[in-house]
This record gives sequence, C-alpha cells and structure tokens, in this order.
Amino acid sequence: MFLTRSEYDRGVNTFSPEGRLFQVEYAIEAIKLGSTAIGICTSEGVVLAVEKRITSPLMEPTTIEKIVEVDKHIGCAVSGLMADSRTMLDRARVECQNHWFVYNERMAVESVAQAVSNLAIQFGDSDDDGGAMSRPFGVAILFAGCDEKGPQLFHMDPSGTFVQFEAKAIGSGSEGAQQSLQEMYHKSMTLKEALTTALTILKQVMEEKLSSTNVEVMTMTPEKMFHMFSREEVEEILGTLAPISKEDSLAGGVSTAREGVSA
Amino acid sequence: MSSVVDPFNKFSYMESGSQRQHFSPYADNGGSVVAIAGEDYAIIAADTRLSSGFSIYTREQSKLFQLSEKTILGCSGCWCDTLTLTRVLDARMQMYYHEHQKLMETPAVAQMLSTMLYYKRFFPYYVSNILAGLDGEGKGCVYSYDPIGHCEKSYFRAGGSAGALLQPLLDNQIGFHNMEKVTVAPVPVEKALAILKDGFISAAERDIYTGDSILIKIITKDGIKDESFQLRKD
Amino acid sequence: MACGTPHDMFSANPLWHNGPIPGGFYNFPGSKTAPLYSGAQRFHTPVTTGTSVLAIKCDGGVVIAADILGSYGSLARFRDLHRVHKINENTVLGVSGDYADFQHLQQIIEQKVISEQCLDDGFALKPRSLLCWLTRHLYYRRSRYDPLWTNFIVGGIQDGQPFLGTVDKLGTAYEDDHIATGYGAYIALPVMRDELAKAKQSGQPISKEDACKVLERCMTVLFFRDARSFPKYEMITLTEEGYEHHGTKTVKANWEIAHMVKGY
Repeated sequence: MFLTRSEYDRGVNTFSPEGRLFQVEYAIEAIKLGSTAIGICTSEGVVLAVEKRITSPLMEPTTIEKIVEVDKHIGCAVSGLMADSRTMLDRARVECQNHWFVYNERMAVESVAQAVSNLAIQFGDSDDDGGAMSRPFGVAILFAGCDEKGPQLFHMDPSGTFVQFEAKAIGSGSEGAQQSLQEMYHKSMTLKEALTTALTILKQVMEEKLSSTNVEVMTMTPEKMFHMFSREEVEEILGTLAPISKEDSLAGGVSTAREGVSA
Repeated sequence: MSSVVDPFNKFSYMESGSQRQHFSPYADNGGSVVAIAGEDYAIIAADTRLSSGFSIYTREQSKLFQLSEKTILGCSGCWCDTLTLTRVLDARMQMYYHEHQKLMETPAVAQMLSTMLYYKRFFPYYVSNILAGLDGEGKGCVYSYDPIGHCEKSYFRAGGSAGALLQPLLDNQIGFHNMEKVTVAPVPVEKALAILKDGFISAAERDIYTGDSILIKIITKDGIKDESFQLRKD
Repeated sequence: MACGTPHDMFSANPLWHNGPIPGGFYNFPGSKTAPLYSGAQRFHTPVTTGTSVLAIKCDGGVVIAADILGSYGSLARFRDLHRVHKINENTVLGVSGDYADFQHLQQIIEQKVISEQCLDDGFALKPRSLLCWLTRHLYYRRSRYDPLWTNFIVGGIQDGQPFLGTVDKLGTAYEDDHIATGYGAYIALPVMRDELAKAKQSGQPISKEDACKVLERCMTVLFFRDARSFPKYEMITLTEEGYEHHGTKTVKANWEIAHMVKGY
C-alpha cells in the first residue's frame, strides 16, 4: 500500500489505481494541523468561533486574522495554510463585488462558495493555465452568510467540495468538536445558545486556556450582518461559560501541530 | 455648409456623384416604446413598424423581448444592434439562472443591462432601451437607458423615435407634473392602458417611424397578458 | 453637397439648397453623402452587383424571383449571373448587392451543407438557422468595419410552414410574408403588399400560381424603372411539393407605341 501511494502521490492530477488523488487527500490532512474553527447556523443567524494559536508570548495576537469579512453579508473562518487562504478570500471578495457591480444585489452564499470552489480546483502541473496553483490549496473554509434564503453555513475543503451544514468544525480539534456539535446542536437553537455552545466546545478542544486574546468570534445576523466581537464582548460570553473539569477536555488530539506554517 | 474647401482639388464639385459608397455601421430603424408601472403591475408597449428612411421594412415586428416571467425589455433604434443585444441578454439570463439557481429579478437585470451597454462605450449599441417588470416585492418598475448605459428608474417612460412626443403626455396624465388641485394617485391599469393607446395614436400622426400597430404586454403576479392595437398604416 | 463638411450622425442635416451645385447631383435632405476627403478607406465598396430580389409566401411555400444581371457600376457586365440558389431541399437563398461577397459566403454555406449531409442523421440546415447564421456573420463583419456588401433573402419551409426572412449588410434581419430588396423595396413591395392584402381579404392564402403572376408583374415594372435591371429573370418556387425552377423568363416589353410618344 505504501509503495503504491508513493508512486502516485507526486502528480496532482494523477489518479492512483484505487481512484484517489493523493495530493488532494494530503491537502485535506494539512487542515487537521490547523487551528480549530467552529460554525453554527441557527434561524437567527450564524456564529463562527476560531481558536488563535499564540505560539510566543512576544507575538501580537491581534495580527492573526482567521475570521474575515468577505462582504457585508458574508464572513469566513479559515483553517490550514493561512497564506493560501488569502488567495481564496481575495477571490471571494472580488466575486462578491463583481456580482454587486453587475447585478446590484448581494451575491448568494452558495454562489460565493461555488466561485471559490472554481478557484480551488484550478491546480495542476501544466503551464498553460497561467497563474493557476501547482498544488491544491491547503485550507478549509467556513462561509457564514445571510441572503434571500436566510442565514446559512457552508464548508469547503481543499478538493473544492462545498456542502451546507447546520454546524461544522474544522482544524486540529475538528473530530472531537464535530462529535460535541452533533450532541449539542438542535434546530431551535438561539443565537445566544449557539455562541455559548461554540465557545464551550472550543474550550474543550483547545490545548491552551481559552481567553479573550486567543479566540475570535463573529456573528452573521440579518439585522447586524457581519459583526466581529470586541475583546469586551468575548469576555462577557466567556464569563457565562461553565468551568470544565480536566477530564472533559478533549484537547491534545494533535500534539505536534506545525505552528510555524499553519498556525 | 461650404466652409471647408478641398485644397487638393480646385474642381471638387466635379467629384460629386462618385461611385464610392458610404458605410455607416448604424441604421435608424425607428420604433417607439412606452412603459408604465403601477403598484402591482407594469405595462410595456411598442409599435410594430420596422423602417429605414422612407421605406417600411415590415409592419409586424415585435420590439418587446421577454427576459423572464417578470421582466420585459422594449428596444428601438438600430435593429441589428437590438437583435444582438437581446441575444446576449438572453444568454446572460440563462447563465445567471444556472450559476445562481434562481431567476434574475428585474432590478438585477436593470443593472446588468447598464453594465453591458457601458462595456460597449466606444462602439455602442445604438438602442434606446426601456425595461419594465415587477421587482422582488411585486411592485411595478420601469428602467430607461441611453445607448451607453445610463440607467434611470421611474414609473413611466416613453422612448424611441416618438419618445419626445409621448413623454410629455405621460408626464401630464400619469405623473401629474405641475398640476394644481389634483390628487396624485397611482394610476389603475385600465387608465394606464387608455393613455398609452391614445399616446400611440397621436404619435403615429406625426412620426413616420411609428405606426402600423402596437403590441402591449401587461405584467402582473399572475403572468403576462398580451394585447394588440391597430394604428394607422401610412 | 460636393464641398460639404463631413456629414456624421452628430451634426444636423445640412439644409437643402434647392438643387445641386454645378456638376453635382440632387441630394435630398437626410440622405448620406460620402465625405470628399475621408482618411484611409477601411471598407471596400461593391463592384459587381445584383439588383432587387423579390419573394412572397404563398399557399404552402414561397416564391422568389431575381433577374440574372451582374452590373459593373452602370455597365451591364454579366448577363447570366444566377442570384437565387438552392441551398438544400427546404431552403433557397436570394442575393442582391456585391456578388463577390456573396460567393465568399456561398462557399462557407456549401461547406456547411456538405458537412450536414456527411453526418447523415436526417437533419439538414433549416431556413431559420441559415438566416440566423447569416445575421450573426454579417453583424460580425459590420462590427469589424469590414462589411459584406450584400442583402439576402432566405426562403424555405420549416416545420411544414413557409418561411421568408431577410438580412442586410449590417445584420438587420426580419421575417415577413413579402420581402423585396434594392429598388424592389420601393417599386415592387407596394404592389406585392396590395396583392397580399387582397388575398387576405378573401380569407384564402395566395396560391402558388397567383404568387408567380404577382412577381412576374413586379419584375416587369422593375425592369421598366430600375436602370440596373435586366429583362431576363429567374423564378423559383419551394413548396410542399418541392423545389421548382421555372426557368429563365423574359419580361414582355412592348415598345410599339414608343414612336408615338412626343414632347421630349
């Protein structure tokens, strides 16, 4: 098995005899080294919560941006290679603005995901594609948005596959977090409940102690649209969280996170 | 008129009647369009005469193009540009539908048309466009354009060869402009239709590029109703 | 108008000086004249030309007629130039304007028809498709400022219904029951409209024979008035029974009373 894999994992556009594209699968693996991000969609709006890995006390935490505004009505949380995510988010922003320019309306969340997906699959070794990437992008993205269909959450992985979710976790703690989401999510969840749920789960899966400096929180509601939580607002919610015992903690799943690259 | 004298040819008048033929990529094929929007309806009408100079090409050419169940475009001016523009528009509507899995709404069509026209800023489509339809809330709306993409939203508009004849009538009868002691109220569909027909009858009296008959399309939430009305044919 | 300012669409029409300047011709208001000293001439002008083509829809088909003259300016240069062509079993194409431009397109169309036949799938180029293709092609050329100086009439049968359409050098296309190009649009079209209106009043579509008679009359009138016309013309019908070439007909002109005309 290992031999076969090593034969077929070089070319990004070469299928293995079992019908797999190893480079794409490796890229998906790369996400599992990234920081954890959680998205929950409720009828009132969408919540995104992301862990920030502070690898050095000398680091300026505010310069790590894992939740970004794409348009007034769409926000994204990313996990994986941050440098790659810039390209993807830039495309998302351009597509949104172009849609507004041509049609004078907000671009649907699904359409934005589709547009970014089109970029995500444009990898290959040929030169004639011009500026296309030579490898798959090493990022997973959570799209939180509000359009005609109401609040929505989409997840996209490096293969370019995008699926709508009610709640989704990505990154190093995603396995445990997804399990917890499945247990805790219910359709009638309020936005406030979703906020505490997201942060409770994040607290469980994080290696470091959750604080207002190492987490980013955003809500996407039809009323306020993209709203990034200030330090004070985060602290307010953190204060309401029940303290968890050491046994409940799910952290430590991936102990060798490549902090330098993927953070 | 004779201010420019050809310096290379003293006997320039002898050149007159030369066999060289002039080519202009544009033609004026005439036609008039009127659109009126109400609270829950939009009417758009265009005459059916297609002409060039003093000859009538055909007496039954529809100048209304249905872009969706809620949007209709009326075109007059250079017919070859109209044909091309509406084909590209149809394709764009289809592409939008497949890309976004929904029908394009009238305000979106309006904006797209504006950008499409402006992209040909330096070789414009010589078409006077009027777009009528229902917006996302089901209210009637009318958008009018110049050939290079300036777009204006309004509730009534006349355009084309008899635009200057028809617009003042609409301003007075539908817009109640500069009127005293009148209650400005939305016009019911029957009254809008009557004003529209009278307008076309009058326009056909003075504009040789407007006549033969008119096609009327009434857009409501229940669908589009067609009507036609005969005009003078000389 | 010989020494006028270049006339473009932005400036108002010049006033009519009640007649031509010495050596000039009449120029009516609104008519376009070529600027005397235009820069590089990017488009060509017609050389060998054909005059009017006439066509009308009749009961179950179309009738189309055109004379067989190829003019070279005022010279009647080619006297056996066929301007109505069979494209396939359900399509005919009539052409006026520059014959070389037509031949260029004819080659492309013939290749299209052959390619369709090679597929042998029972489908053939339909008249409406041909008209649409011609429209796109001519519009493309006019947009390049390199027009094909032609005016086509496409006739045929599509889905069991008669089809008649036309397109000019700009890509201006339309369908109608009766179409005439060139001088025919001024001289023959009113006659054709009259006859079709009469037929419409009777509630019966005009028969093939009657339609042929109308066109014969129109061709005669055109021969009398159009200086670039010719007494010999072709008449072709395409109906449910199929394609029929009625041979080369000759306008029966009677000049016997000519010597009695006095006063010139």
